[in-house]
Amino acid sequence: MRLSRRGLLRAGLAGSAATALGGLASGCAVPTGSTGRDMVLWYWSGGLSDTVVKNAKARYGGSVDLRPIQIGGQYRSKLITTITGQAHVPDIAGLKGEDMAAYLPNADQFIDLRTLGAEKYRSQYLPWKWDQGVADDGTMVGFPIDCGPVAHFYQYDVFRKAGLPYEPDDVSEGLGTWEAFFAAGEQLGRRVPGAKLLTDVNGVFENVVQQGAQRYVDKDRHFIGDQEHVRRAWALAVEAKKRGLVSDLVSGTPDQLSAIQDGKLPSQLNASWASFDIKNGVPKTKGRWRVAQMPVRPANNGGSFLSITKACREPEKAFEIITWILDAANQAQGYVDAGLFPSTPASYGLKQMREPDPFFGGQVTTDVFGPAAQKIVVAYNSPFDVALGTPIKDEIKNVGVLGKDPKKAWSDAMSKCRRIAKHLGVSY
Amino acid sequence: MAVVEQSPPVVAHRPAPTGPRKGWRKYWHLYAAISPFYLIFLAFGLFPVGFSLYLSFHRWDGLGSMEWAGLSQYQYLLGDSDFWASIGNTVIIWALATFPMILLAMVTAVMLNSAVRFKSVYRIAYFLPSVTSVVAVAIVFGSIFSTNSGVVNAVLHGLGIDQVAWLNTPWGIKVTIAALMTWQWTGYNAIIFLAGLQTVPGELYEAARMDGAGPVQTFFKITLPLLRPTLLFVLVVSTVTGLQSFSEPQVLLQTSSNDSTFAGGPGHSGQTMVLYFFQQTFDNNDFGYGAAVAWGIFLVVVLFSIINWRLVQRRGD
Repeated sequence: MRLSRRGLLRAGLAGSAATALGGLASGCAVPTGSTGRDMVLWYWSGGLSDTVVKNAKARYGGSVDLRPIQIGGQYRSKLITTITGQAHVPDIAGLKGEDMAAYLPNADQFIDLRTLGAEKYRSQYLPWKWDQGVADDGTMVGFPIDCGPVAHFYQYDVFRKAGLPYEPDDVSEGLGTWEAFFAAGEQLGRRVPGAKLLTDVNGVFENVVQQGAQRYVDKDRHFIGDQEHVRRAWALAVEAKKRGLVSDLVSGTPDQLSAIQDGKLPSQLNASWASFDIKNGVPKTKGRWRVAQMPVRPANNGGSFLSITKACREPEKAFEIITWILDAANQAQGYVDAGLFPSTPASYGLKQMREPDPFFGGQVTTDVFGPAAQKIVVAYNSPFDVALGTPIKDEIKNVGVLGKDPKKAWSDAMSKCRRIAKHLGVSY
Repeated sequence: MAVVEQSPPVVAHRPAPTGPRKGWRKYWHLYAAISPFYLIFLAFGLFPVGFSLYLSFHRWDGLGSMEWAGLSQYQYLLGDSDFWASIGNTVIIWALATFPMILLAMVTAVMLNSAVRFKSVYRIAYFLPSVTSVVAVAIVFGSIFSTNSGVVNAVLHGLGIDQVAWLNTPWGIKVTIAALMTWQWTGYNAIIFLAGLQTVPGELYEAARMDGAGPVQTFFKITLPLLRPTLLFVLVVSTVTGLQSFSEPQVLLQTSSNDSTFAGGPGHSGQTMVLYFFQQTFDNNDFGYGAAVAWGIFLVVVLFSIINWRLVQRRGD
């Protein structure tokens, strides 16, 4: 057969077209979940202890190939994409706490962990954390990883110099109400020139809201962001501004970090995981910090879950792996490796969590975060909370940063919420 | 089908197939050769575009079932003050960035065009910012424009001017974003202007010099009019990039991990159209409304394109 150049070209093209078509055809047969012995676990960097994940891989290697994958970037978008596309859905998926409101209404995409016998583990976990993983219809979607008890981080020497209580127990007690906390802030400003108690008003507003059992939208899809609990948080934030307790800095900026380092921002109300941010952001402040209880009662900020998706072919095995990864001993390891504060109170007494932390002047911070974690109350997590909480948080920020009139800011926030509520079908 | 009719008589003894079918059979390998483009465009361009239109008539949280919403998303969009504000922000930032940039780029190009030593070194140096990652640049600008420790405020302080809270005031935010965009694109556009300058025939300058025109007069009477096509090109390209600005404000105004990264700073002063689209879609999980916002942005871009097109048309007169 004489092979012309054109003929060769044609054959080559036909071949590549066939390959492409074949690819498309097999594309139509993309597996929904994993195949073979694989058990795919999706999480994000720092979402689980890498040591524990590695141990789990070895431990269950006899029956499944646990394939842990760290997903970077927009985690939720990527997970939603695979679930909606019904392709390559992981068997076990980490769910971030702030995204739970988006997953829970779609509980049918996940396996109800109650059907796998989750109930018998319940007593080992923080009750409020356990409830956060349960959808309205009772389906248990998420198994608790960590939690984020909020506490009062402060610089020992600065507080001492300002004539304030400076030992952790004294700070917890002496600054136990918002009034006492604010008065301490005024004293700090007088005694230490240029020092402010908090970075911004949102630190007050959001923590007060988080302390409560209600947020912006309730279970019956009704807007409650105009009620007493939000108004009180608003009033306290405005008061902090009026009494000159907040800086004009933006958190996370170089300005804020240098102010923290100089002792001009010696105090912050932040979750347990913030100790890692402080250690990384202002390493020179090592040894100066202590942790105490925040005013009134602890709040929670963050904390995530593990779930088993509908695509998982061996839910029993997956559940076995999850419960092992998240047992009290491994959660203590997670705290050491990744700063994940355990949702298992039994971990708080373990050796890894009783180590004095030189960054905090040798304080055992679990003594503060542990009791705090057990006293948290949480609010109903509505899928509309983000949309309807944002205008209020934006406006209080305008009051704090831009000096907007609080009355005008509040009425602007409310009129915006009214529009958004109507649009989303939330009753106002 | 003129081409088909002119095909050689070799095919004449075959049963004549119908026109288009025959064309397809004859040219399929050509279509196959260019298929990577249109197949990929179909999958990753056209389909998402069409789907976003479909999406904008629905309510969808990204996971559950879609719910028909009719025109309500668009109705809401028209009355959404945040969306209009984001258009305003985008246009203001674009104007603050583009006009100084064009001026600077032109001056730079004229200077590069005159005989200096190390010409290529300068050209490379000016081009570098445009190929630098926006994220890295934004982080550096965040430091340069910080209130207490920033270089800009240090210079202002040295001149006896009050500090400005650049990243904490509505105008400060806009100016900072614009400064970043100006810095990033001045060199790139200077190179384009330079290319334009080099097409201007040297005789014209010579003639002008003989007629006694000074450098300033030469610039306004000869260089500028002949650079007009280049100027329009630069304007069009910066409109396209300016209207899509996203990473600059996102990285510059990103604060603590708790905050939305799409909020655009205090008072949403730096929230551009695309940031607003991201906030609605990915913060609020409101994919239907996000799609409607995207189509709103599309209309704004169309409007600007028409304006640009008119400008180009006038050139042809």
